[in-house]
Amino acid sequence: MSGMLAWVLVALGLLVVTGRRRSVAVGVVTVQALILVGAALNSAATEADVVAAVALAVRGVGLAAVVLWLVARTRENRLVRAGIAPLVRAGLAVGLALLLTWLVPHIGLDSRTDERAVLALVAFGLVAVATRRATLFQILGIVLVENGLALAALSLPRASSLAIELGVAFDLALVVLVAAVFHDRIFAEFGSGDSASLRSLRD
Amino acid sequence: MTSAQALAAGLIAAPALTAGVVGLAPPRLARRTALIGSAPTGAIAAAFVAFALHDLDHPRVGTWLVADPAGGLLVAVISVVGLVSVLVSPAYLDSSQGSVVRVERRERTYFAALYAFWTVLLAVPLAGNVGAAWLLIEATTAASALLVGFSGKGRALEAAWKYLVLTSLGLGVALLGIVLLSAGVPRSGVGALSWQALATFSSGHDMALVAYLLLLVGLAAKIGWAPVHNWLPDAHSEAPAPVSALLSAALLPAVLLVAWRSQLALAPVVGLRTTQTVLIGFGLASLVVAVPFFWRPMAWKRLLAYSSLEHMGVLALGIGFATPLAIAGIVVHLAAHAVAKALGFYAATPLLAHDPRAAGHAVTGIGRTEPRLGAAVGLSLGTLAGLPPFPLFVSEVLVLAGGFQAGRPWAAAIATLLLALGFLGLAHTLIELTVGKRRGGRAVEIAGLRGVTFLTAASAVALLALAAIGPWLSRTDFVDALLRGLP
Repeated sequence: MSGMLAWVLVALGLLVVTGRRRSVAVGVVTVQALILVGAALNSAATEADVVAAVALAVRGVGLAAVVLWLVARTRENRLVRAGIAPLVRAGLAVGLALLLTWLVPHIGLDSRTDERAVLALVAFGLVAVATRRATLFQILGIVLVENGLALAALSLPRASSLAIELGVAFDLALVVLVAAVFHDRIFAEFGSGDSASLRSLRD
Repeated sequence: MTSAQALAAGLIAAPALTAGVVGLAPPRLARRTALIGSAPTGAIAAAFVAFALHDLDHPRVGTWLVADPAGGLLVAVISVVGLVSVLVSPAYLDSSQGSVVRVERRERTYFAALYAFWTVLLAVPLAGNVGAAWLLIEATTAASALLVGFSGKGRALEAAWKYLVLTSLGLGVALLGIVLLSAGVPRSGVGALSWQALATFSSGHDMALVAYLLLLVGLAAKIGWAPVHNWLPDAHSEAPAPVSALLSAALLPAVLLVAWRSQLALAPVVGLRTTQTVLIGFGLASLVVAVPFFWRPMAWKRLLAYSSLEHMGVLALGIGFATPLAIAGIVVHLAAHAVAKALGFYAATPLLAHDPRAAGHAVTGIGRTEPRLGAAVGLSLGTLAGLPPFPLFVSEVLVLAGGFQAGRPWAAAIATLLLALGFLGLAHTLIELTVGKRRGGRAVEIAGLRGVTFLTAASAVALLALAAIGPWLSRTDFVDALLRGLP
């Protein structure tokens, strides 16, 4: 993947960490997935590569449809604010990305830029889950991590297994669907998709 | 198709088909279909275990499928716990109300999800490569999260959410480790991820170490090793009791087997001592976190959950020490923990009917108010505490002796101290729980008590048998085969 596209993915990832609106964040992770699909099709050498790219596209668009439906179904009366300001979240995300880049030696992907982008997307996903209180943003944080891993799979020097790639796409879709069910139930039970209300289990 | 492939296909197909049939069955037939469906799964599992343990020197190892002694041991544990969990589920369903789905779909959804979870669990020990193992472990998350939050209550939803998010993130980290491994193995396709191919990793020691750490930290989040264990007490305490038994006695050891296989596969590249030290670190950290909770009054299922943290720590230590004594300890520990922990969770259903306060508080004097229930929780907790002559005492002694044998006296000494402290805390709880001052408890007909009484007797026999064979196990071909790992 070109260096420019990799950094576009990273910039979009930062929007999930800092953005306010759930629907915008859904759009962002979907655009990321579609960029990955374009790159996968562009570099596809075999039929298996094309199938893997199509699976990624179905996953990206399918998840977007499910999550947008969920956004419409669970309208919040007021914005679920994260406990941490956007700039601080961005700082934490960039800091973790830099730390990971410093800690992890050369991974063996096609380019160092791709490696940095992968680590940045994983770091942004982790920070999004840890700092966002809205349950939907936590789901999107997981999707962000998986988009980073999809970029890593695309940048491998040798062909990866189609069965494993399809399995990863299927598993992620399954986990997001189950998370969507729970988001819906949490909204029904607590009147909001705010993970701050999930604090009764403490020792 | 070879015998191993046919048996493995049957082992996965039988519960998967039952899940499908139960999911489509009319609501009134769901329960009966589920109960009947457990028989073929159990029978095929028994055949697979016999096959896997028959020829210890020649395990069947392919790119997708492994049938080896370690896998046979795990399939035995998972099939027994799964079978009993299905059989005791009607008592849970009869004694509880509410669910995450509409009432008319309640039983159907429960059994379909339970069978789906059991199917994936049975497949984990058979995975012939780290990629397939990851996929199956991730699939267990989806199936079991539905079951954890099944009651639909606020606390159950919270537990399920934590479980889903934390383990998915952890497995994302593990997948990054797998991608790094895949980049460094000079093969393409799924062959690059087979257990044998990982030893050919050629991107250098540092890269292999990073990949191993990422993989292990990710798996640790699913095994429930400290410090990435936060979901474990909540999920185990809020899930339906038969599901808690599967989570603790089957899921955690199944994922632990994947961590063990990864350690053995990467030891030639990362360094044997380094890979073992990481496991010992997780083991000691888990004991340090778990033991203080044994000194506090705690609700029954939550106590069992923290006990899982302790026992997964002991198993990590055993794998890390990796001597014949320690491996013999692992075998006994794995089996005895499954029996005692499952019995403890199965007893939770009648316990809650007997004293509803047990859902959120420590209860006392159960042996005085309901002796049969007292015997069940007493046997379970006495075993889990490591009380002699029960097998977890034997296995802990074997693991600790293995630590000294492996030249890790400090780790073994610290673990001995922590286990002794844990034992004292649990022994106090055991006395309070069984013969302590009587508070509450209702003299009512308790659903599922007869089944639990039978399970108590069967568990006592199984536990004493395990305690008897434990000391002789270290000199057997079985332990030798486990020490060698996959060829």
